[in-house]
Amino acid sequence: MMRLYGVAGCFFFLLAGLSTANAQQAAEQATVSVQGEVQHPLTLAVADLAKMKRVEATVKDRAGDTHVYSGVPLAEILSQAGATMGKDLRGENMTKYLLVKSGDGYSVVFSLAELDSSFSDKLVFLADQVDGKPLPQGRGPFRIIAPGEKKPARWIWEVRTLTVAFAKE
Amino acid sequence: MGMALVACAWVMIAGDRPGDPVIEKGPYTLVYPANFGNRIYIPATNPLTKEGVYLGRLLFYEPLLSANDKISCASCHQQKKAFTDGRSFSPGVDQSLTTRNAMTLANLLWVKNLFWDGRAASLEEQAVTPLTAPHEMGRSLEASAHKLSHTAPYPFLFKEVFGSDTISGERIVKAIAQFERTLISANSRYDQYLQGSYQPRPEEAAGMALFNSESQLPGSGRRGAGCAHCHGGPKTFNELYHNNGLDSLPKDPGRETVTGIAADWGRFRMPTLRNIALTAPYMHDGRFKTLEEVIDHYSEHIEQSPSLSALLQNTPKDITGRGLHLTAAGKKNILSFLNMLTDSTFINDPRFSDPHIKQVN
Repeated sequence: MMRLYGVAGCFFFLLAGLSTANAQQAAEQATVSVQGEVQHPLTLAVADLAKMKRVEATVKDRAGDTHVYSGVPLAEILSQAGATMGKDLRGENMTKYLLVKSGDGYSVVFSLAELDSSFSDKLVFLADQVDGKPLPQGRGPFRIIAPGEKKPARWIWEVRTLTVAFAKE
Repeated sequence: MGMALVACAWVMIAGDRPGDPVIEKGPYTLVYPANFGNRIYIPATNPLTKEGVYLGRLLFYEPLLSANDKISCASCHQQKKAFTDGRSFSPGVDQSLTTRNAMTLANLLWVKNLFWDGRAASLEEQAVTPLTAPHEMGRSLEASAHKLSHTAPYPFLFKEVFGSDTISGERIVKAIAQFERTLISANSRYDQYLQGSYQPRPEEAAGMALFNSESQLPGSGRRGAGCAHCHGGPKTFNELYHNNGLDSLPKDPGRETVTGIAADWGRFRMPTLRNIALTAPYMHDGRFKTLEEVIDHYSEHIEQSPSLSALLQNTPKDITGRGLHLTAAGKKNILSFLNMLTDSTFINDPRFSDPHIKQVN
């Protein structure tokens, strides 16, 4: 509970115009939860991502400007959480998907297979930096980057949860 | 156009005693356009039945559920106003006003989390608040259950719906939720257009194009209104929470109250635009009296704040650096499109009207 008050208090400072330091503080406190069909549910902060295997990609935004995003591959995060990746991605596990949910409620899915390097060369990752800096307010601190996708509709902003689930239909 | 969810047989049940109503029983068939999709929310513990919807409708219009026997759900959710009440804030039994604007009940079948801040995970859970809050209907569920247990035809009806004549708060909100899930609005001119049976007038078509086009098309010189990001698709809403730039210092924390996360400050759930011309005043605090004011807001008056929606931060660059700055004609066209969303079938549907009022021919 204390932490919640801390975040709310931080917000008032933001309003007062002391935005940079506190935005950074809020970003440091923000987390992504990895949950669902995983053996080890995780709660990851920016500091945790810094210690993991990182990748970067140069992509163009809608305005045509080039940016370098960096972060951690979803496959790496899912493996660390004990999701059925790699040699375990077979049989009924082929019906699993990852639901990525944003703070505003927007959600997108990836199949586990399309995130796994033994299936696909796509390198979808959870970015926490753009051009060497934290992501801007409203778009971060975490964002999915899926290089090679023509529309950025799955480059979901403000990622809060990664949920692995079975498609049950 | 419609799809039947449940094929079913029904039977007529006559009351136990003279005066008990004759009601149909059996699974309730929800009918809605296929393009609304089936991402609907019905708890496994509360499947819709004809008898449940019948009871729920009576309860929705039942003033005995309020502390002064005068206010029902329908006091603030009036069918003719697409189940809103025309006020910024609504008076309760003690004449105190609610803190947020009464929301439309149209198409809540597709909404997972209710209230402006999404704090209720089901319509059953949601109904408890207005029924019991001291400044709203103000009667405990226990007191309401007791009252109904001495009021015909409720003991009979609860037995028909739930298998015994026990009346409880849980059963009251279940029946109300069943009725609310039937409040489907899908016959506006926009729906008819999507079904291929209505040809929009030129200003409606232009408004629709503006509504659906991106607000930012770099280098193209084109300006859209970008409304569809949040209000796009056949249902005209997505269940998302955004701070839509009403204030630089939002007073109402909105979604933040639920999550405790600073980025959610001043974020509210976006409602459907179905029947939007009937549901003034607008926004969570009812601050805008007309749709013209709403359009002006999105066009020119977005206020910057730390949690302002990222979708509203990059409106086309111009003199002020913010705002869509739609033309007068563009605004008028969008208004024409919004008026296309009025569903007169819905607001006149006898299935949704007050059952306590006897029809006089």
